[in-house]
Order: sequence, then C-alpha cells, then structure tokens
Amino acid sequence: MLVAGLLLFGPMLTAQNRKISGKVTDDSGTPVPFATITVKSTKQGVAADASGNFSLSAKTGDVLVVSATGFDPIEMKVGTEDDVSIKLGRKATVIDEVIVTAQGIRKRPRELGYSVGKVNTEEITVGRSPQLAQSLSGKVSGLAIYNVDNSVDPQVKVVLRGYRSLTGNNDALVVVDGIPNASQSVLALLNPNDIESVTVLKGGQAATLYGSAGVNGAIVVTTKKGKKGKLKAAFSTAVNFEKLSWLPDFQSEYGNGSHYTAGYGTAGWHADYKQRMAENWRPFENQQYGDPYNGEMRIIGRVLEDGSKQIIPYSALSGEREKAWNTGHTLNNQVSFSGGDDNSTYYLSLENNKSEGVVPHDESSRTSVRLAATKEADKLKAGFNIAYVQANYDRTTSDFYFDAINVASHIPISTYKDWQHNKFANPNGFYDDYYNNPYFNADNNRQKYMDANITGNVELNYQLLPWMNLFNRIGVISNSRTRKNTTGKFIYTDWAKNDAYVPAPWDWANDYDGIDRAGTDILGGVLDRITNENVINNEFQVQMSKDFKEFSNKFILGYSVYQRKTKQTEVSSGSIVQEGVFNVANRQGELGGGESNTTERKFGYYADLTTGWRDILYVHGSFRYDATSRFYKNYRDASLYSYPYYGVDASFVLTDAFPKLQSDIFNYAKIRAGFNKNGNDNIDLYGLDLQFPNGAGFPYGSTVGFTVGDILPDANLKPEFVYSYEVGGEFQFWKNRISLELTAYTQNSKGQVLTVKVPNTTGFPNLRINVGETKNWGYETDLRVQVIKQPKFNWEISARYSYNNNKVEKLFNGVDEFAYGGYSYAQTYVIKGQSYPSMKATAYVRDPVTNRVVVNSASGYPLTAATPKNFGRTIPPHMAGAGTRIRYADFTLAANFEYRGGNVIFHQLGRDMTFTGSGGWTSNRTPHIFPNSAIDDGTNTGKYVVNDKVQVREAEYSLWVDYYRLIAENFVTPGWFIKMRDINLTYNLPGKLIAKTKFISAANVAIYGRNLFTIVDKANMFTDPEFSYTTGNGLGINNTGQTPPVRQYGINLNLTF
Amino acid sequence: MMKTKFIIIILAMGIVGVSCKKTWLDVNTNPNTLTSSNPNFILTAALNQTITNAVDYNEIGSYWAGHWTQSSSYIYSAVTFAYQFTNNNFNWWDPIYNNLGDYQYIINNAEATGQKELKGPAQIMKAYLMQIIVDHYGNAPYSDALKGVSSLAPKFDDQKAIYEDLIKVLDTAIANIKANPFSGALVGSDITTAGTLKGGSSTKWIKFANSLKLRILIRQSRITGRDAYITTEIKKAVQEGTGFLDAGQDMAVNPGFVASDGKMNPFYERWGYNAAGAIKSLARYPRPTKYLFDVLIAANDTFRLKRLAYAKGGENANNPGVSTQAEVVSNYVGTPYGAPSGYTAPSTSYLGPSVIVKGTHNRPLYLMTAAESQFLLAEAVQRYGATLGLPNTAQQYYETGVRESFRLDGVANPVTQANVVLASGIAESDWAASPDKLKAIWFQKWLSLANFNGAEAWAEYRRTNYPNIPASAGAPVGQKPPVRLFYPLSELGSNQANVNAQGTIDVFNTRLFWDVD
Repeated sequence: MLVAGLLLFGPMLTAQNRKISGKVTDDSGTPVPFATITVKSTKQGVAADASGNFSLSAKTGDVLVVSATGFDPIEMKVGTEDDVSIKLGRKATVIDEVIVTAQGIRKRPRELGYSVGKVNTEEITVGRSPQLAQSLSGKVSGLAIYNVDNSVDPQVKVVLRGYRSLTGNNDALVVVDGIPNASQSVLALLNPNDIESVTVLKGGQAATLYGSAGVNGAIVVTTKKGKKGKLKAAFSTAVNFEKLSWLPDFQSEYGNGSHYTAGYGTAGWHADYKQRMAENWRPFENQQYGDPYNGEMRIIGRVLEDGSKQIIPYSALSGEREKAWNTGHTLNNQVSFSGGDDNSTYYLSLENNKSEGVVPHDESSRTSVRLAATKEADKLKAGFNIAYVQANYDRTTSDFYFDAINVASHIPISTYKDWQHNKFANPNGFYDDYYNNPYFNADNNRQKYMDANITGNVELNYQLLPWMNLFNRIGVISNSRTRKNTTGKFIYTDWAKNDAYVPAPWDWANDYDGIDRAGTDILGGVLDRITNENVINNEFQVQMSKDFKEFSNKFILGYSVYQRKTKQTEVSSGSIVQEGVFNVANRQGELGGGESNTTERKFGYYADLTTGWRDILYVHGSFRYDATSRFYKNYRDASLYSYPYYGVDASFVLTDAFPKLQSDIFNYAKIRAGFNKNGNDNIDLYGLDLQFPNGAGFPYGSTVGFTVGDILPDANLKPEFVYSYEVGGEFQFWKNRISLELTAYTQNSKGQVLTVKVPNTTGFPNLRINVGETKNWGYETDLRVQVIKQPKFNWEISARYSYNNNKVEKLFNGVDEFAYGGYSYAQTYVIKGQSYPSMKATAYVRDPVTNRVVVNSASGYPLTAATPKNFGRTIPPHMAGAGTRIRYADFTLAANFEYRGGNVIFHQLGRDMTFTGSGGWTSNRTPHIFPNSAIDDGTNTGKYVVNDKVQVREAEYSLWVDYYRLIAENFVTPGWFIKMRDINLTYNLPGKLIAKTKFISAANVAIYGRNLFTIVDKANMFTDPEFSYTTGNGLGINNTGQTPPVRQYGINLNLTF
Repeated sequence: MMKTKFIIIILAMGIVGVSCKKTWLDVNTNPNTLTSSNPNFILTAALNQTITNAVDYNEIGSYWAGHWTQSSSYIYSAVTFAYQFTNNNFNWWDPIYNNLGDYQYIINNAEATGQKELKGPAQIMKAYLMQIIVDHYGNAPYSDALKGVSSLAPKFDDQKAIYEDLIKVLDTAIANIKANPFSGALVGSDITTAGTLKGGSSTKWIKFANSLKLRILIRQSRITGRDAYITTEIKKAVQEGTGFLDAGQDMAVNPGFVASDGKMNPFYERWGYNAAGAIKSLARYPRPTKYLFDVLIAANDTFRLKRLAYAKGGENANNPGVSTQAEVVSNYVGTPYGAPSGYTAPSTSYLGPSVIVKGTHNRPLYLMTAAESQFLLAEAVQRYGATLGLPNTAQQYYETGVRESFRLDGVANPVTQANVVLASGIAESDWAASPDKLKAIWFQKWLSLANFNGAEAWAEYRRTNYPNIPASAGAPVGQKPPVRLFYPLSELGSNQANVNAQGTIDVFNTRLFWDVD
C-alpha cells in the first residue's frame, strides 16, 4: 500500500467522460484531507484537497478506489449522480501508519526492530479525563500507570516494563514535542485534546537517542499542528461528576469507648464482658469500644460553656460517614482553531478545566493556551510550538479521610460542617477529646499552590541537499511553583480546657473536667515556597536519506545539549500572632526556611543508521556518547563521567520475503530482535561528595554546628549500565482484520549506583557505591480484532497482556536486604534473590503443621512472630487490558478495562480503623476463641494442638487494639483488581442535520464514565489497591493520605465549525 | 543568499554546544551543603546530637527504672510496658554510632586541622557513648568500628574488653588535654555556650573523664574478683590529681538553645512546650510513677516531690513553674508503673519544674551531674575504703550528693532543705539511720537521676536490683523485665555474620557482664 502523500504528485489525467465531484469524510463527518481517489483498473487518480473535496472524470459503472492514511480504503461504483459523498472508516490496524519514534524520527512499523505502543487521540479521550496519564491506563502493553491517589491533584507513577533500578529512578521519561522532562508531573499540565498522538517507546533501544534519561523507556507526546485547509474551529464542553465508589468496611454495633475498666488481674476487674464494655463507654472517646448500641438517649461530648449539651440516640446512623464527602464536579471548556495553506499551518487552543473534589473545599483549575505554527519557504521548514499552562490548587493538608472514617457510626458527622457557627462543631464544643472536627481540620489546614509552566520549542529544518537535511530544535521549559501552606490559629477557651464536664447521669464517665485535646492550642503557621525549574535543550541533527539500489538508508548524526537548573526558596513560621493573617511578618519566634539550588548539564553525540533491503529486511543501529555533570569533577578521569553506549536491532518481513506465505487468512508477518546497552547517570545530584550538613537545629543563633553526612560516597563511582534483549513478532490475519504482536524482553542492570545501608558501626549509615545487579524480564502481547467491518456497523476489540518480573541478582557483600520505607511493621524491601519491592510485615506465629495461628495458651491472644514475614512482591506482575469500540450508524460505544494482579498491598487504614474500632472486622467483641487457632501442646517443644478452649481474654478491647492491630499481616491483602477504566457513548449528529446549520461542520455529544466499577479481592476490605503513599519505588503501601476511590461520569459536547 | 543565511543560522544553533569543553560540565560542586568542615563545628553539633539522642534512651530508661510511666490518654504501649519488643524497637544503636562517627572524625582530623585541643574531649565523648552502647547491648563493634570503607562489617568486641579499653582511652584523652589545653575563646564554664564553640574548661573535662572512669569502674563492682582491678584504676584516677566533678560541677551542654521549633532544649521541646508556648501534646504522655511519689512521701521528701512533678492538671500556663492545682501532697497523683488504663493525663501529675518550666527552653542538658559523681565517690569509698586515697568519707560524698540532687532539682535553699532530709532519721535518707549504706547510696542516686538520666538509672537498677520498683501493671503476671536490648534489625541486616556470632540474645536472660544477679 502506498502512502497517500506520494500520490499527490501522481499523474492527473484530463477528463474523458464526465466530471464527478465529491467530498471524503470520516465516520463523524469530519473531512478527510488529501485522500486518494483512483479509478480502478486505470491509472487515473486525484487527491482530495485539505477539506476532502475532489473532482475527477469517470463514467457510470467505473469503480472508484478511495484511500487515505489511517483509513480503510473503500471501493465505490459510480452511479448517475455527479456529486458523491464518501465516508471512510478509520483503519483498525497500524501496519503502515507512520510512528513517531525517538527524537521525532518517523518510521513505518516494518522498519522497527523493537516494540512500540501507539495511542491516538480517540483512545486517549474515551473517558474525557482531564489527565493524560489516567487516560493511558490499560491501553498499552508493558505500560503501568499507577494512579496512586485520587485528589484534585492526582499523582501518578508511570513505569515501562517494570523496574530496572533498585533505588534509582525507574520512571518512564516523558517527552513532549521533543523536549525531555525531568519529572512526570508534566503529564498533569497537558490538555489531552491537544495531543495528536502518544508513542510509547517501551525499551531502552527505542529510547537510546534520548540519552540516559531514556533508559526507562519514554512516553513521546506529540501535540497537534494545524492542517492544511481553511480555518477549522472546534468547541468542546464537558461536565463530569465524581462520587465515592467505596469506603472501607465499617462496624455499626458499638459506640464510643476505650479501655477504662480495670485491667485484667487487677482489683475491680469484671468477669462479665458486658459490664466491662459498659464501663469502657465514654461520651468523648475517639475509639469505638463502648457497649453495643441500644437506642437510648445519651450525651456525646461534654456540657458546653452555655450549658448546652448534645443528647442523641445511641444507635448507628446509616450511611452517615459517606455523607462527609461531597459530590465532586469538573467543568472543562475548550476551543481550538487550526488551519493552514500550502506553505504554513497554525494551531491555537485554549482550555479551562475546573474541578471541585470530593473532599470539602478542595479544588483545582487548569488554564492553558497552546500555539503552534509551521512555515515552509523554499527549502526551509520552520515551526514553533509554545504552551502556557497555569494550574491552581487549593487543598487541605489535614487527613480528612482518616478523620471521617474514624468517627463512631452514631455521630451525625455531616452536621458539623459549619464549625464557625455551630457550637457543637466548633473545636471548643466538639465531642471528641482526641480527634478534632474533620471539617475544622480540613478548613484550618490548607495548601494553595500554583504551577505556571511555559514550554516551547523552535524547529528549523533545511534541505541542504536532496538527500540531506539540517535540523535543529531548541526547546525550553520554564516552570514555577509557588506554594503557601497555612494553619489557622485557634486558642481554646478556658472552659474547653478546664471546665467542660460530663453531667449526670453519665458523670461516672467523667475522668476530669476539660477537653483533653483543648490542652494543646493551635498556634497557626505559614510556609511560603517558590520552586523554579529552567530547562534548555538543543538538538542538532544532520539527517541523511539515500537509497542505493535495493538498499534504503537513513542516517542521522546528532548532537544534544541539555541543561537544567532549579531553585527553591522557602520561608516559614510555626506560629502566627494575629489569626487570619498568613505572612511570616505576622509571626512569633525565628523565621524558618532554606534554599536549594541545582544545576545539571549533559551533552551527547549520536549516530543512528537504518538500512533497509527491499522493504523486507531492516537493520538499525545506534551509538551514543554522553558526558554528564553528575559524575564530573575536574580531578576525575573522563571515563568516569562520559560513556558510550549502543544498540542494534533488525526486523524482517517474512510475508514479503516469501510471498507464498501470504493468503487471505495470513497477511503479514514480521519478526524482530534487538540488543542494546544503555548508560545511565542514575545518581543523586552532587552525589559524589561526602556532605557536612548543618547539625539538627543549627545554627543556634550565632552558634555553628555541622555534622558528618550520612552517606559515604565511594571514590570510584561511575554511571551504571542496562543491557536489554528483545525479540518479537507482528502478525496480521484475515485481511488485516486481526493483528497480533508478541514481545519478550530481558534487561540486566549492572553496577547500579546504590546507596546501601552499611552498619552504623562503621560510623556511616550508608555507602554509595556501584553495586547491585538486577534482572528484569517479561512478555507482552497485543491483539486487535476488527470483528465487524461494514460501512454502518463497525466493531473492534483489542486486548493486551503483559507479564513482568524481576529479581535482585546481587547486592552489596553482606547486605541481603534493605527497606525502601513504610511503617516499622510493614515495609517494602529489596531482598537478594527475590523480586522487588517485596512486602515484609509483622505476622502471626503459625503452627508449621496446620498453619493455624498460635495463641497464648493463657490469654488466648494471637502471638506476633519475632521477625517480619515476606508476603511477596508489591507491584503486579500481571497486567491485562481490554478495549472495545462499536460503531453503529451515528453511535459509537467504547470501553476499556484493566486487570492487574499477582501482588500484595499493605493497608495502613486497616490498622488505623482497628485502633479506633470503626473497622467492620473488629465487630466480634464477645468472648470467643480466636478463629483457626492453635495452642502449645503443653510440652513447650514447638508442637501445637487445635485451640478449642482458650478464649481471648478481652475481646471487647485488648484483642483488637493491643494484639490484632499490631499484626500487620491482618492488613496485607492481595492487590489484584479489575477496573472499568473508561466508557463512552458518542452520538454524531447526522450530516444532514448539521448541514442545515450552515456553520457547523460536525457535532457530537457523548456520555462517559471512568472507573465505574472496581472489583477487588474479598480480603481487601480497605481501599483501592492501586493507591500508594509514595510515587517512589516503594509502591505497595497505602494510607489515608490518598482520598477514597471515586467513580466519575459526565457528558461532553463537541462542535466543529 | 537566503540559503547561506539559513545554513549559517542552523549551524550556529547546532554548534552552540559543540564548542563546549569538558569544563562546561564543571557545575557539580554542591551549592547547598558544605563538603568539608572544621572539627570545632563538628564537635558543637556532635555534643548537641549526643544530648538530643539521650532524650530517647533516657525515656525508656526512665520507664524501666520506675521513674516514669505512661498516661492513659495515649494508647497503651505494650512494647514498653508489657516488654513485647523486638529487634525493631528501641534502636539507640544507630544514632549513637552515627554520633560516634562525628567524634571519630574529630579524633582523626583535629591535629591535621590545627585544632588538636579538641582531640581529648572527642575521645572522652567516645568513651562516654561506648559505655552507653555496652550498657544497652553488651558486646559491640569497637576496635573495628568507625573505620568507614576500611571495615564495612565491623567485628564485635567483648564487652568487658571494651570496658577495659575505655579506661585507657580516657587516660589518653586526659594526657591529650593536658598537652593541649583549651585557651582563649575555647574556655568557658559549660561546653558550648552561645556564640562560637566554647569547650568548657580543660580542668572540667578532665574531672568529667575521671568521674566517667568511676562510672565505668563502679558498674563492675559487683563482679566477683574484680575489686583489685577496680581499686587499681580508681587509685590511678585519684592520683592523676585533677579530681572529680565536684559540687556545682554538672557536665552541662547547651549550644545556646533558642525559642524556635527544632532549636530548643530537646527534652523541653518533646515533653514541654513549643516555641510559641503551646503545650506539646506529648506532655500528656510520660507520668511520674506512683512508686516515685510513695517513696518520696515516705521519706517526708516533699521538697523534691514538688520539683520532680507538677500536681495533677500540670503546670499553670499563666504562672510558669507552678501547678494549676494547689501544691498539696494530695494533688500529686502518681500513675502506677505500667498501668494499662485509668490514668488520663489531666487527672495525674506531669513531669515537674525540675525539667519543665514554660519558657525555659534554653536550659542545658547534662552528660553527667555532680550528684552522680558524688554518689560514685561515696560508693567507691564505702566499698574500698581509705586506700583509694580519696579525701572525704563515704558519708560526706553521700551527703554532698543528696544536696547536689536538691540543687539540681531546683529546690529552694537546697542545702538547708537537703539537710532536713539527711537528718530525718529515716533509712536511706539519713546516712546514720541507714542499715545498708550501699542501698542508701543506690536509692539516693536513683532519686537524683529521676527526670535527668533514665538510661543511667536503668543500668544502675540492673546492677543493684534496687530500689524495689513494682512490676509493670500491664505486663503478664510473672513477666521478667528486660535486662538488655536486642541488636537492632539494621545491624543484623548489614552485619549479619558478626551479629549472629554473638549467639541468641534473650533480652530477659542474657545479662551483661556486670549484671551479676
């Protein structure tokens, strides 16, 4: 199949018979520019113009063949009409679609010796997510998007083909219009509608040309350029709503109480657990270990200064905790203009996106403008692209999730929103002695921050010789984040501190007068921080392309320069004088703050050659030589900071080499293989030096104190290398309606720059050294099937599966494991010989024979194993995605699903809710034998018998808080889930209807949803297993720092003029 | 000519960096943190780190020596009070060794940087901290430790051998100080007062070294057959001639704390108030024990009672140093040691004005008190008699110790009031009335350490099994208290073979070499 563009210059024959004119559009009625129309069995043909209009001469009975890049060609018999309209369906296969690879080099799939994933605008915008990262989830094999939280500033971690580095960066590089970004946070600043395509370069080979930063693969985002044709304006508006989808499992049988009754074995201890429960009840407790709800009227909290008190039924309210959250909503409006003529194009878009989250008063907004233009003059092509994005966030820094899920179920929590006016909601009168009103905490602790981001580039391309171009692109990123965190001042009344009391008949439950929490006044605080980032990146290339007989050759010589500077300054104060004024001038005590500056520089030379033989065999090799400031010192040998690396790959199109293989069933087969070695300057900035930071708290006035730093760097540190091998094949069947891609890869990372924990007895906690080796391997498969392909009815399905595993091959001598972090009782680890990260958590002691939980034979309480247990890896080895798109007439239904599994997750909120007693799993408070337990057989020889007699001593409190809670195993669950990532039903207004408006050329309306359902393991009573407390390598632990899971649904209107 | 222009433009852009030399990469000098430092700045920060770390281990020591317990306003800590702890709890090891790394840096670099007078004090601090390591963990890396990359898996030394070597280190330190005494700006009354480093006085450092020797030696005094060694070493310390920490000579450290969060006296900052004067929520955690109150009241020693604790309800924020409730004995509500419930913070006594007075964020912390030094001298004379060559009698040292404790606790007219107690006719207050003089010394030392040095109190409790502090109310019946700590998980993870070579550690039974019963 020929590329349409080539036909542009094909012969244009003069009319023989009669003139037929027409218009080529896509399914939605949008014009398809530059389609090729030929008369079958002749050499006649024309190209449509930019608006899809064409005219040619033909006679009745001729068959017109209409084709265009990215569309399935159709044949159409010429009837008697002189004016025809032709609709093309988008091509399901990508066999000859040009793909943007590293450094913007365009290649056809058959030229590629490695696996790439491509996602087009349509696939990205199915769920109309304002966030690009979320809309890529599940759509490319090998690509893992971890949606680690759900706030109005959602964080993601994007990883390709798993982890290579133990402690260094494993995040995929994000390249926007050729400019590599140092952080994935840029994804939040992109308007998904501005995106022309996203190419996912999965392996190191694909990304060799991005230098070290590409070692983890790259997400190459290309934004829209204008298209030739008259001005096209598009307007889109979307509104979407967001609601909690699920909360942890709650108990609704017991009210406030804690361990107030006499301790076991001490005077006054009651044998009757009901009596103990009744004594444990307190009207001001944050824990929920009181007596069972019985419907009687009881006080909560204490008597207020004005004598008022809250007396409410002691019975659970239904769904009250859920009411604590709002329904969030997002309004997205955007407009874009594009157009161009033979020599120039332009594209301008404006977007405003405004979200209010589920957490009361949390909101964010994004306003962006993007302008792109190209101009061709003679042999020079010039283009520029500039975008400005301003994103504003206003969020609480309090743990609203924690606060809201840990209230007792009879507390009318949703009535406490107005803490300024409602005396029972005000901190001076709020019932809880230990936890403040969730709404007060949320309102009183705020963070407001703004990102202002300018990115731009200028590209020049000059055709020096027919086979040689000079190309240069200079790109800049200027990003500033200004932040203000505030904590309001609140001084409790003397009454709240000392006099609030519990009245009769509950006065037996009065331990003292005053609210315990009121003992600590809130003095307020303010923090002001400015972070600036400036990146400049220049890429110069000599691009050569010349064919010698049967050999096609593309050769690129390049030179890349990169500089990144950051500066962060901050001032803060931990107390403010006059409430409501948040400025460090309004402070008491010393001014806090600091500054941090970084400069990083790199340059690299590279060469890249692709040679093809008869379009059947392609061999591609690349070589790069980098030098990095991260390893530079003027006394160091050049080999320690500069390093070469290279790769080679080949692809072979079997079906073209052996045409006999081809049939209607089996159309296309390509096999490929590649190897590459990638260098990586994976070291913390300024990581070569032993540092002498200020001692904690220093300087004290004019007293200076420094301390010897905690990381001792090895003198011979050098960059690390990753060796990747990849083989794969691409196959198409059934007239190209089924396409299948298979890939297997393995990556070995050697001599990693690792900060290893050495014994503190060396005088240093950590040593930074080249050590450690990991192996990372996996398989990927992508399948696309065009099940039904008819002009009016089209059904495509796609499925993908990837398996990824890794192993720690070597660690520092004597070090078998180290922790990434987490909680002391549940941490993610790197363990030699195991895949990483692995979850190690405190566990039950179990009978090795029956696996029963061993309990103390006197108290009946479960025992905690002395050493934590490894529960397995925390990132999912199995990931599968499925998508479907059905078009019938003017309706299109699309949906995407994702499964991930094979991992475990620790849920801190389970432990929290065991402490407070709000968790549903704590509801067995009556005397009982610990389930599935065993006790020592009396011989103390490590032999056990089934426990059928020893009941837990105090199931109404101690079992849960003092024992069950401390065994982290209880909150480690399988991490698998199935999610409906997005679904969309679009209705394209019929062309006839549109035509009547005269000015609208296309219109559609869509309803859509995201994460409408999630299925998780039944042991997971806690939260979304995708969430994580960190975007670092130590995924696998979540807590209430993330908001609860939500589902979103909305409606969207698109108009094109 | 357009063509030429374009080519020039593109080439010019491309060449922007081609001309870069390798010096273009020379931006890898840390602009944020120093990459070298003089020993005097290290010493200042290291001393501050020592007293900051001590807040942690003194806390646990204060519990396990029966001075403090926790309030019921906080969730019961089974780890601390039911002794359900593992090698993941109570890791003082890592911070102390990290701190030792700083002192070792001074020892290694003091001479080369022209600050040789700092070497002796750094050696004393090394001995001081190594004893704390041994007292918590027994065998530990010592001769092979603090060598950086030269020894990445330091072997462990026998605890007794370390103890013996510490005496030699202190001898060397004293010699170094004598050879290079402080002069000029380094001289001060305490270590590191505000401004540039003041090392204190050379004399006081030597006295501290001698008192520290006594602490090391007396700790071994209940080991059978150890007396000859101990007396020999004490005699050498006496003969050295500078003497020991005398009345009024607490070894205090104060870098010039300022009223700013993170820069205040770390004890005050944890258990007291924040910089703006709001009470810390952790002020509601530690509670003086009922036992501590009972023994003070039994001895009619309400002077120190009212300094060691505030009456229930705590300090009056508007009248610093004074309780909210009337300061009558009935308002001093101690919390039974290890009580798992029933004693909320507002209904019980808080840590008292001897350590926490609102606004006094700039009090020093103590490496060793004069009282402790005096009680060590008292025990030395009581055990080994006049042959040591010490000038005073055991009773004199004992009584000075009690008076020093009164002074340290901030009792008004300390000498007068202490004399009341010393003449009370009550055993273990009044020397003459005490049937067992060692018990009197141990008891009074235990009282003097309350609120100030929990770790030392716990070590001495393990050595002497005295006073008779009650069992933890929340621990299982018959549960023994720990006699040491586990080697921390971090050391096990990175120095496994050497840790395992120490055998199985049973924290309830594997006693330290000086803990004979």
